[in-house]
Amino acid sequence: MAWVVRVEQIARIWALLAGAVLLAIMAATSLNTLSFLIGRFTGPFGFVPPALPGYEDFVSLAIAVAALAFMPWCQLQRGHIAIDIIVSRLPETISNMIDKAWLVLLTAVCLFLAYWLATGMIEARSDNAMSPILGWPRWPFFGPGIISLLLWANVCATQIFTPSERAQSGQ
Amino acid sequence: MTDLPAEMIGTLGLGALLVLLIARVPVGLAMVAVGIGGNYALSLALPYLRFEPYLRNFKTLLFDTVSSYELSVVPLFILMGFLASEAGLSRDLFHGLSTLIGRIRGGVAMAAVLACGAFGAVCGSSLATASTMGRVALPELARLNYAPRLAAGTLAAGGTLGILIPPSVALVLYAIIVEASIIEMFQAAIVPGLLAVLFFLFVIWLQVHRKPSIAPLPPRIEGTERSRALRRLVPVMAIFGVIILGLGFGLFTPTPAAAIGATIILLYGLALRLRAKRAGEDGGLSREGLSRSLLATANTAGMIYFIVFGAEVLKGFLTRAGLPAALAGWAGGSGLDPWLILIGFLVILIVLGCFLDSLAMILVVVPFFWPALLELNGGDFVSASDAVFGMDGEALKIWFGIIALVVVELGLITPPVGLNVFIIASIAQSTKGAGGQNQSRAMTDTFAGVMPFFSVELVRVALLLAVPGLCLFLPGWLAG
Repeated sequence: MAWVVRVEQIARIWALLAGAVLLAIMAATSLNTLSFLIGRFTGPFGFVPPALPGYEDFVSLAIAVAALAFMPWCQLQRGHIAIDIIVSRLPETISNMIDKAWLVLLTAVCLFLAYWLATGMIEARSDNAMSPILGWPRWPFFGPGIISLLLWANVCATQIFTPSERAQSGQ
Repeated sequence: MTDLPAEMIGTLGLGALLVLLIARVPVGLAMVAVGIGGNYALSLALPYLRFEPYLRNFKTLLFDTVSSYELSVVPLFILMGFLASEAGLSRDLFHGLSTLIGRIRGGVAMAAVLACGAFGAVCGSSLATASTMGRVALPELARLNYAPRLAAGTLAAGGTLGILIPPSVALVLYAIIVEASIIEMFQAAIVPGLLAVLFFLFVIWLQVHRKPSIAPLPPRIEGTERSRALRRLVPVMAIFGVIILGLGFGLFTPTPAAAIGATIILLYGLALRLRAKRAGEDGGLSREGLSRSLLATANTAGMIYFIVFGAEVLKGFLTRAGLPAALAGWAGGSGLDPWLILIGFLVILIVLGCFLDSLAMILVVVPFFWPALLELNGGDFVSASDAVFGMDGEALKIWFGIIALVVVELGLITPPVGLNVFIIASIAQSTKGAGGQNQSRAMTDTFAGVMPFFSVELVRVALLLAVPGLCLFLPGWLAG
């Protein structure tokens, strides 16, 4: 199943890219805080290092990209928490069927969300929606989110069509 | 359907949610499905609640939910915890503390509790605390011939400290949903968190005092090994201290604290790696370790964000169905003793905690109870002297949040879904000599071992109920 391996590799790389975005947020926040802390001590002497302008804008937009990019990897790892009180005690065929049913539902939800996010992106572009301080247009940040949702749907699809023993693990 | 009142549809929706959860549907997905399906049902029953305009919310609802600046603290805290684990800080912490107090009978188990408490200060999640400290401490406790029940119970209970000791992801989420100050919630959690540590230490002491053979005295650690363990403890405690004191004294707000903490741990881990490489050893934060941290963060943060989004969708449905308002109205007009209702809410949380995930409880159940409790207390603008619980709305928010969280945390160690117990049992299973080698034995040992800790947790809840000052003193004092 080459396409399964391919989807898994892409989800891994996508999650690592999201991790890199998180590291960028970490660095920007640390720099901003550091300049604020230095300013607290040096302020009385007339020196206040500049904070990063629009830092909260950057964090808000970047974290949205990262958070959605985490989803396919989380799905691949069966990380979305579920509660197993009864299902694992049912016969394997029934338990597998239930598992596949919610994977189909999740695929549909991912596609539904991707559709509406794409509609939202088009609208944000036509409305020229911008971040309040930096004045960055918001719509380009929807793009990676749409890709993440489509990738998430793809991961679900691979899990529907792959043997379910892996599906049992993790929860 | 068209004859059903909105509240009834809301209640049926909650029933459907429970069925989906029992059917092992992921929590986030179950909430999204019930939220959308419930709104459709509402639109059929009440034509003025049209479905199509509701659907258009999804153009921005997902993006707006995940782009919250306040929520950005969650992945940063998670990253900090995983970096600390990968860089070996959790190991250094446990070894340093067990070197310090290991010669007391039961001291290594006590060191494990203290290490869980300290690790909770860089890790916002109970599950991560339990799994990280379990992997570090359980093999050591097994090597020293500690009774498997004591060892596993200590780690499963110790892991729960991560949910309360600041910074805590659960506290952040609670603060966001009830619009409380995250910093004040963190400050309020410090004393109850320390109280839990003390209680757990007492439980270990009591068990060991009654039956010394369950915790044999380990050989004395001498010379270079001892000084190396203590030397490594100092920077770890300094890093953890900076984060918790910075947060406690309001030097940082949560997001900067998480970012600074993660940066310091990243740099410290890289420095350790450099030194280890020069000495030809293995240690510190490797490139693979960094990748693993990022992927583990993606896994945990992805799960939390999906639940948060699911809760947002579900909240929309329940609010439209008028359920929280109906519960608040019922509580206000029931004529029952408010304390009885409060205790009833807590009992419901304990029972639901046996089946539901803790984050789902905080995001779904607590928002239900909060308006009812506020109503019982005398409303939004009641003064402390006129309020039923003797405190104004802001203080009630903090007090109830802490108690609810302590109660929710009990769900992590109660059957059948005690997640910490599962984690520790699976580690015990793979640890030679701990808890036997079969799964059911490891589970039985862990559940049995955790019971004494569960009992003192109930005492702690009673104490926090009886003495609200334990939660409220520190935020009040620090605010001047």
